[in-house]
Order: sequence, then C-alpha cells, then structure tokens
Amino acid sequence: MAGFRLIELAKPFLPLLPEVELPYEKIGFDDKVVYTIIAALIYVFGQFPLVGMAKAPVEEVSSPVLDPIYFLRGAFAAEPKTLLEFGIFPVVSSALVMQVLAGLKLVKVNFKVRQDRELFQSCTKLFSILQYFVLANVFIFSGYYGSDLTVFQIALLNVQLVLAGFFVTLLVEVIDKGYGFTSGSMAITAVTIATNFVGDVFGVNQLPVDSEGHTEAQGAVINLLQSMRSSHKSFLGGIVGAFNRDYLPNLTTTLLVVVLAAAVCLLNNFRVELAIRSTRTRGVNNVYPIRLLYIGGLSVLFSYVILFYIHIAAFVLVQLVAGNDPSSVIYKIVGGYASSNNLLYVPQFPLSLLTPPKSVWDCVTRQPLTPMTFTTFLVLTGAWFANLWQRISGSSARDISAQFKEQGITLTGHREQGISKELEKIVPVASTTGAAVLAVLVAVGELLGLKGKGASIILGVSCGFSLLELITVEYQQSGGQSALTQVLGVSGA
Amino acid sequence: MAKSGNQIEKLAEAPVEFVKDGSAFIQKCKKPNSKDFTKIVRAVGIGFLAVGVIGYAIKLVHIPIRYLIV
Repeated sequence: MAGFRLIELAKPFLPLLPEVELPYEKIGFDDKVVYTIIAALIYVFGQFPLVGMAKAPVEEVSSPVLDPIYFLRGAFAAEPKTLLEFGIFPVVSSALVMQVLAGLKLVKVNFKVRQDRELFQSCTKLFSILQYFVLANVFIFSGYYGSDLTVFQIALLNVQLVLAGFFVTLLVEVIDKGYGFTSGSMAITAVTIATNFVGDVFGVNQLPVDSEGHTEAQGAVINLLQSMRSSHKSFLGGIVGAFNRDYLPNLTTTLLVVVLAAAVCLLNNFRVELAIRSTRTRGVNNVYPIRLLYIGGLSVLFSYVILFYIHIAAFVLVQLVAGNDPSSVIYKIVGGYASSNNLLYVPQFPLSLLTPPKSVWDCVTRQPLTPMTFTTFLVLTGAWFANLWQRISGSSARDISAQFKEQGITLTGHREQGISKELEKIVPVASTTGAAVLAVLVAVGELLGLKGKGASIILGVSCGFSLLELITVEYQQSGGQSALTQVLGVSGA
Repeated sequence: MAKSGNQIEKLAEAPVEFVKDGSAFIQKCKKPNSKDFTKIVRAVGIGFLAVGVIGYAIKLVHIPIRYLIV
C-alpha cells in the first residue's frame, strides 16, 4: 500500500459535498449558546415517522422482524421507525474510527497541511453518509419495515433515511466548525438524552398498553399518579405496576437512572491537583487539576460504537443471510433472535454474551455469563481507547508540558525537564482508570436491566459536563458579558 | 508500563499493574465533599431537566403531526 492514501479517495467527491464554511468572524458567547441549543432542538424535532413502511406488519407476518439494537439506541439518540432511525451513530462512529485510524497511523494524514485536513474531513463525512446508506438498506432488506415492499417504497425509505442522515451530518458540522460549543455530537446526545429522560419520568402522552384500549402515560411518575386513581386497577396493584411494568419506563428504572447520574457527577469531580507555580513572577502558586474522567464519556461512546458494529454484523448474518432460521448453521454459531412483547428482538446465546439482559432476573436465569463478558468487553475497549485517545487528541503529557512552557508555568518541586516525565506518570493512568471505572458503572447499570438507559444517562451527564466546562471557560474569556445570563439572572457561572 | 520487555510477561502483568496503578490514583484523588457534591448535583439536575423539558415540549408537538401525516 505504498504511496496510496485512503483520504485521497475523497478527492473526487470534494466539489460535490456541501461544506459548512468557517465563520468569518468570531462568534460571540451568546450566539454560540443559541446555535448549540437550536441545533440540538432541530435534531429532536427531526424525529418524524417514516413514510412508506408496510402497514401493520405485525398481523400479516407470523414472525416480524423487530428492533435488534434497542439497547444501543439510547446512546446514539436514535428513535426507532423515524427519520432518525440510526441517530447520530454514523456521524459519531465515522469521526471516532477515522481519528483512531489516523492515530494508529493506519491512515496517513498530515494534519499540518491544509489540504490533508480538508480531505480527512470530507473522507469522514463521506464515510458517515455511506454508513447511513448501508444501514438503511440492511434494515430495509431484512424486512424491518415490512416484508414485501415495492420498489417505490424501498426507494422512498432510502431517500428519507439517507437525506436525514446527511442533514444530521451537516447539523453536527455546523456546531463543530465553531458556531457552537464543540462537539456537535456531544451537544445533540446530551439534549436528546435529557429529553428522553424527562419523557420517561414526566411524560404525559398516553400510549395504548393492551388490546382492551387501556392507555398508560409514558412517564413513570405520571403513571404512578394515574394508576392510583384509575378504575380498572386496585390502588395497590396500580402502585406495584408503576414500579415494575416492563413495557414502558417504570419507577424502579427511573430511580436507578438517577442514582447512576449522581454517580457520574461524583466521579467527574475526582481529580488530582498538581501544584504549579509561575516561572516569571514569584509567589504565584496555583493548582492544575487532572481529572479522573480525563476523556469524559468518549470511552463509553467508543465501546458502544464497537458493540453497534458487532450487533449490526450479527444482524446481517442472522437475518439477511440465514433468515433467523433456528436450523441454519449461522444461527447456531452466532445466535439468533427471539421476539419479546412483539417489540424487541432479543439476541440468543453466543450473541447474548455481549447484550445487556432485559432484567436482573433474565440476567441470572438466561444469561449467567453475560455479566462477565459484557463488563470485560466494556472495560477493555474503554481503557484501550482512553489510552490511545489521550495520546492523539492533543492533551497528552507532552502536549500539556509544551503548554506549560509556553505559559511560563512549572510544577512545584520539579525542574522544567522533569515536567513531561512527571505528567507521563499521571495522565495515561488517569485516563485509563477513569475509562475503566466508567465502563464498570455502565456495565452495572445495564446488567440491572436498564435496556440502554444506563449507558445513555451516563453519556448524557458526562457530555453535559464536557459542554459545561467549555461554556464556563468561554464565559470567563468573554469577560462575563452576556445578555443571556443577564436575562436569566445568573451571576458568575 | 514499560514499553520494552517480554510480551507475554507484560500481558500477564498488565491487569494487575493496571488495577494497582488505578486504585493508587483514585486514592490520591481529591474528592468533593458533600456540600460541593449537592451543589453540583443540583446545578446539573436543574440544567438537565430544563433542557429536557424544552426538548420534550418539542416532542409533544410531534404527536398531533403524527396523526396528521400517518
């Protein structure tokens, strides 16, 4: 492969791909806040149902194809059977995968050359759109949208899914290019997860739950209040039902999610403070914090990207190739799907090793090996990624010491040459340990049967923290002059 | 984590080393006291809920739209 560079592949597409232009002038603090929030809200608003699906597929077909990736949806802000079927997964995964490949020197990019940077960016974008296209067709031809679609329906579904994906890619790019607080996918994830959380807790929309036409509220708290005074249930039965219904969010999972969120808040504030002093002025002492969650929620996101790939690959093999037929060889090797409540596809044995169980009870009885394999998988991928990321993302020990030198700062009690070495002892340990701890937290949440809500709340809160940090720094740099904060009556964030 | 050395030996030692380094690091960490912690949780909670409520309001708008177009 000498002389060939992957990013060159993007060259012919360069004039075709629309690109968000860099802002001409510096975007102010208020504008950035508005851009970020509006972009994320546009995303939430984009969850339109798809046109062209076969009507009522459940009754026609005896074994309908159901959602195989339900537990991964939360993390990627994906809503089933809407335009955002795959959420921001292709955007996130292509960005992460390309960065990792570049970091491992598998893709040769010289980030100092402007043209290389542009090509790399376009390549990432192309990759993301390609993934939308491939995923859309995998789902269409597996029969997820109905078994006998006409050519017109297939084309329609393709156009919808790919165009929506293209739109999301550009939406993320708007924020990433400096109009909002980076990164775009983080902002979108945080807002969508917050939305889903509020929907699950306080959602007032009524959904049909049985064939008799009874409805229950989506929100766990609202449901509790309603079932206390509903006529077809006893008072006690209503309360018990509110805690353990499994078709809609219940209070138990809600409480677990809140506990997980609090745990992330706690972990996020674990840090080692290094004493630093200025080399220029005497007597100026300060501390430089190195956080335990050095790279935030990215490691979890990476683990989930890998999980997604594994599960999509399995879905292709089992559903497209073998037709989910228990007698085929593939079914026996990879594992198949069993439907649950006519809503979800639950993977069977070998595949179930990497699938969080539906409930604690399921975990003990059906998947006794899953806790070990799933946790190990998350910890290993997370820690590996964290170690790599801190080296390639411009916040490695060497980068920080270069930054220190530039600003005339040194660690107290170390010579200038020793800084890099001292940081080298701390930074990789911090990032890998943080990633491992976070992975364990995600695993615990998921193994308790949160069906992806555990991972998503952890991601949501840690993304929120990353954004908050950027916003605080930006706010202080802009001198605290912000019309927004004055309106909202916030004093000194 | 030495860069050189026997590969297999390193592989066997890595998890032990990792756990040891990690727990030492966590020991060294400065942890927030309960007062700080409640402050953080409250701030994050309010922010999260506020954004979530706005987002959910938008989602509610979707319900009549769904009826119209499906």
